[in-house]
Amino acid sequence: MDTPTRRKFLTVTGAAAALALAGTLPGITASGATTVDTDRVPGYPFTLGIASGDPLPDAVVIWTRLAPKPLEPFGGMNDRPVSVRWEMAEDERFRRVVRSGNALARREESHSVHVDVRGLRPWRHYFYRFHVGAHTSQVGRTRTSPTAHQPVPAVSLAYASCQAWYEGFYTAYRDMAARDHDVVFHLGDYIYEYGVGADGGLRKQDMAVDFQRETTTLDDYRGRYALYKTDPDLQAAHAAAPWIVTIDDHEVENNWAGDISENNDPVAQFLVRRANAFRAWWEHQPVRVTQLPTGPDIQMYRRFQYGDLIRFNVLDTRQYRDDQAAGDGTKAPNPDSLDPNRTITGATQEKWLLDGMAQHSARWEVLAHQTAIAQLDTAAGPPVLVPMDTWDGYVASRKRILGGAQDRKVRNLVSIAGDLHRSVASELRPDYADPSSPVVATEFVGTSITSGQDGMDLDTGGQTILDENPHVKFGNFQRGYVRCEVTPREWTADYRVVDKVSIRDGKVTTRAKLTVEDRVPAIHVH
Amino acid sequence: MQRRHLAVAAGAVVLGVALATAAQSSPATPTPALSATPGHIQVVGLPCLPSALTVGMTNNGRGAVYADMELSAPSPLVLDRRVFSSWLPVGQPVSVRVGVTAPRSARPGHYTVDLSVDRSRLSVPVDVLPLPPKGPDDNLLLGEQATPSSTNGSFSPCGAVDGDANGDHWSTTTGWNDGTKSVFPDNYTVTLPAAGAVGRVVTDTLDSTKYPAAKYGLRDFDVQAHVNGAWVTVASVRGNTSGSVTSTFPAVQADGVQIVALDSNDHAYSRIVELEAYSS
Repeated sequence: MDTPTRRKFLTVTGAAAALALAGTLPGITASGATTVDTDRVPGYPFTLGIASGDPLPDAVVIWTRLAPKPLEPFGGMNDRPVSVRWEMAEDERFRRVVRSGNALARREESHSVHVDVRGLRPWRHYFYRFHVGAHTSQVGRTRTSPTAHQPVPAVSLAYASCQAWYEGFYTAYRDMAARDHDVVFHLGDYIYEYGVGADGGLRKQDMAVDFQRETTTLDDYRGRYALYKTDPDLQAAHAAAPWIVTIDDHEVENNWAGDISENNDPVAQFLVRRANAFRAWWEHQPVRVTQLPTGPDIQMYRRFQYGDLIRFNVLDTRQYRDDQAAGDGTKAPNPDSLDPNRTITGATQEKWLLDGMAQHSARWEVLAHQTAIAQLDTAAGPPVLVPMDTWDGYVASRKRILGGAQDRKVRNLVSIAGDLHRSVASELRPDYADPSSPVVATEFVGTSITSGQDGMDLDTGGQTILDENPHVKFGNFQRGYVRCEVTPREWTADYRVVDKVSIRDGKVTTRAKLTVEDRVPAIHVH
Repeated sequence: MQRRHLAVAAGAVVLGVALATAAQSSPATPTPALSATPGHIQVVGLPCLPSALTVGMTNNGRGAVYADMELSAPSPLVLDRRVFSSWLPVGQPVSVRVGVTAPRSARPGHYTVDLSVDRSRLSVPVDVLPLPPKGPDDNLLLGEQATPSSTNGSFSPCGAVDGDANGDHWSTTTGWNDGTKSVFPDNYTVTLPAAGAVGRVVTDTLDSTKYPAAKYGLRDFDVQAHVNGAWVTVASVRGNTSGSVTSTFPAVQADGVQIVALDSNDHAYSRIVELEAYSS
């Protein structure tokens, strides 16, 4: 890893961000100034930051949204399109600009721009920024992926999930941004549909009525993304590395499943809500046009190859799943949850995943997705009570996919997920009811960034999970994220936790270092 | 239910989404039709008593579109939504609730809420009514300004003075839930426009089949009245498990009433469905 570049970048970004807010940036001429009427942008438009994502060996998507008044309808923009100039350079001072161009920001897309910058070199850092009139954005750093079969000695990555804005500060992101990651995953619950309260919850910020209701309409979802993205720590984490983003339930609504809403709204009505949620997600994330929803349908599952070392399978276990078994909640395994016909991925995605595994394209096959695959008995003593919203409610999917990986002799299968608001590291078996079922994979569920407010090292529920599930090797109930260093020989997961998210400057420490060796699906706690 | 549709002349307005990278070649799409239910509403100048309007858009074109409805109203009307944007599949009305309030100072009279989507326009008549007098048997807190110490998620600060004490409507259209989990005390404060006699307070905590008071309701709380610029405890309740608690005390001249919640039966959140105060 090129630490010197990294250190230099952090210094420059900090200065640039500060100066950009003041409206000037030394040494930078706003080359887009002549193409735009500056009166179309009433004030500094890059209040929601910048982002890059979905890296390929020759391309990466860069994103921003013009929002001079981020919490106003349409971000304070009128209905006219605005030309946005973008630049991609090999150096953070933009002396070696390798690609540049103009993109049109239009109200139909909330004045967001998604530029799929092509023609880049593999496994290289790049720097990017945007200009509108006299305004220049922060500088972002990104990195392309290696070519498909390129030998890669190491990849560093981080992943996060569950960031209820009103439940705490994004200190974990500040920590993530200060460290070097080749790629960052967001595994869902980037926003919550719930209102944030008149006082913004733990943020103690007076909120307009638009943010106090549950999101259902497109403007509601757009406003909520804007609110979340005003956070400087989240912006810094986006600016520091490319992100690969998927969704879980709260990007739409708690525990939705396919076309079934939490409270069984009429399907046609729920699909309008889903369409609105997906549309706002696309407008606010650094993703390609291939992820642009068609009404209530979106192509969320996709793959990213990091040379011969890792293949990431980004899954969508919400859009095609059967409804939660036995009325959702935490239940004993039941005929519904054990039904061999049930699916959490849908048949098409399952085939895509298993066919991909058969290709043995990388040493580490990774499932980057929403919620725990491991069985999690949450009841102390003999009764077994498991969550119906995780893969415990879809036992047949667990059996088919883990068994399928075993049949295909996948060298190393690793699951990274979120959703639980707790850290849980587990060894995965295709069939927990069968004592002879072998461990075929490992799973590192990361905790929430803020959801659940301040936690504690181990709560009663976490202790029960450790006691009742011998395949669970580590648990923690604080907030934070996971960073991993992956080499051909070993997968290392560091659980970074924050002592308090209810205050602005919580302390972040490594709570545990866990490793998995090549070809041995066992978790070592260090 | 009376639903009013405006006949809309087909305008050559493109509402559709187009990809940033693709040339736009959408066919002309008719402007969505607007609707509002009811067709006429009445508003009282109480800060926490919104009247509701359901506004809708219907896409009568041949393909799905995204559309932005803009809503406006002259002073003194206050809308809780200025924009309603949505995906509109063909032929399916899509609607949303809009709260309309007026301040206490609002002059009674006839006003309108104006809706527009491109060339479609719809005006909804709104009558601002004179403030109703509150007699000795009336709930003094109904619709008055509530300012809780915190409010959770989608709950409205007004949720416990909106006249709806039905626990089955919890979290969807009524109720107040604080925003600080497992941290007490929580205050739910209601300010009155002028001091008057208060001798009885009814506290309806959450109590429904799904959420029984013994599990989710307020357990320990003080009832306080704002008398001569200071909060005075007029009743204390401890170990409560019932859904409705009536506190009777010698009447005081108060211009505010508040509940100081000290604990709940789940020790997590303070939950009030409705708070009422009477002169005796």
